[in-house]
Amino acid sequence: MPEADFDYEACLLACARGEQPALRGLYQQESSRLLGVALRIVRDKAVAEDIVHDAFIKVWKGAASFDPHKGSARGWVYSVTRHLALNAVRSSGREVPLSEEHERAEHTDTFDYQARSGRIYSCLEQLDPARRNCILHAYVDGYSHSEIAQKLGTPLGTVKAWIKRSLAALRECMA
Amino acid sequence: MNSIDELASEYVLGTLPAEQRAEVEQRLATDTALRAAVDAWEQRLLPLTEQAAPATPSVYLWRRIERSLGHSATHGSPVSWWNRLALWRGLAGAGIVASLVLATLLLTRTAVIHPTAYLVVLVAPQNQAPGWVIQASNTQEIQLIPLGVMEVPADKTLQFWTKGEDWQGPVSLGLVKPGQTLSVPLDKLPPLAPNQLFELTLENPGGSKTGKPTGPIQAIGRAVKVI
Repeated sequence: MPEADFDYEACLLACARGEQPALRGLYQQESSRLLGVALRIVRDKAVAEDIVHDAFIKVWKGAASFDPHKGSARGWVYSVTRHLALNAVRSSGREVPLSEEHERAEHTDTFDYQARSGRIYSCLEQLDPARRNCILHAYVDGYSHSEIAQKLGTPLGTVKAWIKRSLAALRECMA
Repeated sequence: MNSIDELASEYVLGTLPAEQRAEVEQRLATDTALRAAVDAWEQRLLPLTEQAAPATPSVYLWRRIERSLGHSATHGSPVSWWNRLALWRGLAGAGIVASLVLATLLLTRTAVIHPTAYLVVLVAPQNQAPGWVIQASNTQEIQLIPLGVMEVPADKTLQFWTKGEDWQGPVSLGLVKPGQTLSVPLDKLPPLAPNQLFELTLENPGGSKTGKPTGPIQAIGRAVKVI
């Protein structure tokens, strides 16, 4: 179902009321995309499925406390999933396991990036490709500063500064 | 960007180390400024999730989620009994009717205490909608009270039946007009007993020729001792 046709907010309200079919509907609607997001970060199908499992438990139990004034319902479901995945890779202390498959591209254009319509994409276009890749590797791949530095072959301090400035630029561009 | 916004942006981006992530998550519960900054960054960056290609979950994942939540697995029929509106409506309706009748009995009861009284709610078998109530203040006579006017085809008639638990078969209590309140003496039958079955069936004019119900059941219920 297209995102526009699925009422995420009503779905969370129904979950909050204990209506199990609502959670099933959300699963049918988003599970493969959420699994894609988690898989990209944790890079292991079984671990990614654990993340999506935990995310749906968290969504079901936390649906009652979801406040639609603070953001979109769909966004919340994605945030829950992403942060579970990020916590999993950060707390496991994964650093530099960017094995052979990740070492092919040593130049700046390391992220196979699909430009889409939307504010964030037009603002990303305005960034220097290397800096844009830092943001994408961090957000989509869940890379840490040092993983990005290693991947781009750029000093750690530079990567940290690029990211900081790119975020500020994005915020300004999107304001 | 101020320091709160910087912290929020790197938290959402995912570049904070584990300890700092834990700190932020702890602060989010109470720090509304940080919460607002994080929410805003989540919204800004959300479209980037489209960069990850979808992956099909294994068929077990949903079952695992259901199990973890203690939900019963939904195999087979797409609508489980829990979601059958007609069932719950019918049961709720029957409950309301039973409590109204009980309340009426309670308020209108004379000082004479009858040794036993029975109540039967007759419901439609398809959707459990209550259609009739039978009350009996003794075991020799019953009153059949309609809750509405049941629609009966012009060429059919309603016939009233009862069957005790150990009887051979149902016995006719006569024909019933839709919407009619009827008093039926039970003097030729054994006394009314708990769990005795009552039903209304659709029969040809004049009633069933065989002396046994032949047409579809319109309403059915069992006697419950109320006093």
